[in-house]
Amino acid sequence: MTESHSKHILSIMVDNEPGVLARIVGLFSGRGYNIESLSVSEVDSDRFLSRVTVVTSGTKNIIDQIKAQVRKLIPVHNLIDITELKSFIGKELILMKLDIKQNTVLKIHKHIKNIGAKILFEDKTVIIIEFSGTPTEISSLIKKMKVYNIVELTRSGLVSMALGKDYIRR
Amino acid sequence: MMKKLSGARIVIEALIQENVKVIFGYPGGAVLPIYDELFKQNKIRHILVRHEQAAVHAAEGYARSTGKVGVVLVTSGPGATNTVTGLTDAMMDSVPVVCISGQVPTHMIGNDAFQEADIVGITRPCTKHNYLVKEISKLAESIHSAFHIAKNGRPGPVLVDIPKDIQTFETKYGGKKHTKSVSFYKPNTKPSLDTIVKFVNLLVKSKKPIFYVGGGVINSGSRASLYLKKLLKITGYPCTQTLMGLGATPTSDDQFIGMLGMHGTYEANLSMNKSDLMICIGARFDDRITGKVSGFSPKSKKVHLDIDASSFNKSVNVDLLIQGDLSKILEMTLKFIENKRISFSKEKISAWWNQINKWRAKNCLNYKNSRSIIKPQYALQRLDSLTKHLDPFITTEVGQHQMWAAQFLTFNKPKHWMTSGGLGTMGYGLPAAMGVQIAHPKDLVIDVAGEASILMNIQEMSTIKQYRLPVKIFILNNHYMGMVRQWQELLHGNRLSESYMDSLPDFVKLAESFGATGLRVSKPGEMDDLIKEMIKIKGPVICDVVVDPKENCFPMIPSGSTHDQMLLGPNDKLEGEISEEGMVLV
Ligand SMILES: Cc1ncc(C[n+]2csc(CCOP(=O)(O)OP(=O)(O)O)c2C)c(N)n1
Ligand SMILES: [Mg+2]
Repeated sequence: MTESHSKHILSIMVDNEPGVLARIVGLFSGRGYNIESLSVSEVDSDRFLSRVTVVTSGTKNIIDQIKAQVRKLIPVHNLIDITELKSFIGKELILMKLDIKQNTVLKIHKHIKNIGAKILFEDKTVIIIEFSGTPTEISSLIKKMKVYNIVELTRSGLVSMALGKDYIRR
Repeated sequence: MMKKLSGARIVIEALIQENVKVIFGYPGGAVLPIYDELFKQNKIRHILVRHEQAAVHAAEGYARSTGKVGVVLVTSGPGATNTVTGLTDAMMDSVPVVCISGQVPTHMIGNDAFQEADIVGITRPCTKHNYLVKEISKLAESIHSAFHIAKNGRPGPVLVDIPKDIQTFETKYGGKKHTKSVSFYKPNTKPSLDTIVKFVNLLVKSKKPIFYVGGGVINSGSRASLYLKKLLKITGYPCTQTLMGLGATPTSDDQFIGMLGMHGTYEANLSMNKSDLMICIGARFDDRITGKVSGFSPKSKKVHLDIDASSFNKSVNVDLLIQGDLSKILEMTLKFIENKRISFSKEKISAWWNQINKWRAKNCLNYKNSRSIIKPQYALQRLDSLTKHLDPFITTEVGQHQMWAAQFLTFNKPKHWMTSGGLGTMGYGLPAAMGVQIAHPKDLVIDVAGEASILMNIQEMSTIKQYRLPVKIFILNNHYMGMVRQWQELLHGNRLSESYMDSLPDFVKLAESFGATGLRVSKPGEMDDLIKEMIKIKGPVICDVVVDPKENCFPMIPSGSTHDQMLLGPNDKLEGEISEEGMVLV
């Protein structure tokens, strides 16, 4: 296949009902599409709507097919391809637990301040930091922090929004 | 004051409101309250099948021959899992079916309770949508939504799973009108005028056009067929139909050049290959149609008319797509042509018709008849000649007999041909024929069967007996899974691994044991008498037509090949080896 693959961020407004995520995920796995990142949460508690953000990749035909298939799911109200809009932002959140030793604690503090991360918790043995940024920024943070002892980390999926007036309708 | 009703009662009331007259089902622990309510009323008729898969196929036959929604009722666990093949079949062939399944009570769900199966999870990918009703307040709206979803847009199966406690709880039900819809499902059915203008422009310009017509036209309703017939008449363009589309417009029409695809006619497939404009109406460029995609109709502009946006550019890229209900698209097209007084010159396409007629002259469906042994094609030709005037409803099983039926029978009306196209489900034809017969008690309904396929749902003879359904089963008995044997001959060095049908029942005695008539024929000279007798008999008949065990189905486009690499007969050899790419295709 010579056709080029590209990454797409799909923002999907769905009824927040049991099984809705399984429908979306099942559609992707059943038809052999990629999910590179996924995040879901309710965004409208009056109308029970959730917003799902899926990062996927494929040729233009595949992406068009994914969008058409997702739109066919009954609980899906709306889908926009954020990547196709003029401009957008995409952010992830990371939590990271670092093992601190007496001799590194000052250095870590300084480092954290420099990169603009927040300290959520600290005691004599560990420190938990929070940072949000683009996926590239997050990856580079992880790389930088590898000089310390990372006990564990967790990343949210990407959430994304168009800049300017574009938005997803309910 | 509205009275409170039990969930089970609401199910029945809601079905009545949906104008349901018949349901196909099988009882069990988890649906006993619903069966109890069924017992107490007489508006809905229940047909007791002998296997839940057959209930779904019967509902499909009912739906496809009437245009209404077919309804199924089954119990939890094994009852529900038995419907999976049927639901998948309905999904692939876009048949509107609502399947109601019982479920263990809500507080037991997830406990591996007796006869618990996560049927909503299992059927998620093989239904258009499904519901697990966890609150009695959602019951009525789930059922009404199920019907709405099943029949609107591209039709399909919807399952509603109802736990037993929900069936016994009580709530008020104010009827369909007063039930708010859970679903905002509103498929786009109206095409835009500018696409219609573009479409007509392409139509006018083309010198080598071909209409490629699928089952979507039949699903859209009789008006779509009518408009298409008109459009064909106005343009004078040739028309081919898919397996699912047969009968969308009469196949006896002179502009009809045969079915297309793997076992389609030479003229249909070559016209597709060489055309300059392909007008796909309610079909989906499935792999049985396209063959090798890279060689599929390389020079044509392609227009695709369909209700389902996900069918566009899925396997073949098209130049113009028009989304909407086909009857609306065709109506708008005709209006535009009329208003603008556009005429189509017959001269412009006369060279094209000359070419097509040359291909036609190959007489690709020709076969070598015999005086001593019945050729399956001959049996079907005789069946066609002797029954055509009765406009019979035909169902089929899956295999060579299915393809021959598609090639040799005439379909002059839509909704008269029921076959498992997308899934290719052996065992479809007999229960589907039951569903058709229930909907059309006075009409002639014939299941064209293979001796292997018929055994897959043969238990339904018992249902046929119980309801005195005069279904005619026309078995082309070649003692082989013929289609499997054909592929083994062609692709696997003639090693006939497990495709011989040993230890077959005596079909005549089998018929008799179910109170039906059994007829057998093995000589070509007796063929007509058998068919005439079959029609004359008022009750169900099994015809055991003993045919040539070696006959193969041609033309055939081997998998991975293009339309112009068709094998026309047993003496046509493959050019070189089938590619590895082709060998892995189904
Ligand atoms: C449920 C199911 N199992 C297996 C197959 C694969 N298959 C396709 S055709 C066929 C043979 C059908 O034999 P028969 O009914 O005798 O028809 P014939 O081809 O001989 O006309 C088989 C096994 C299928 N289509 N469906
Ligand atoms: Mg056979």
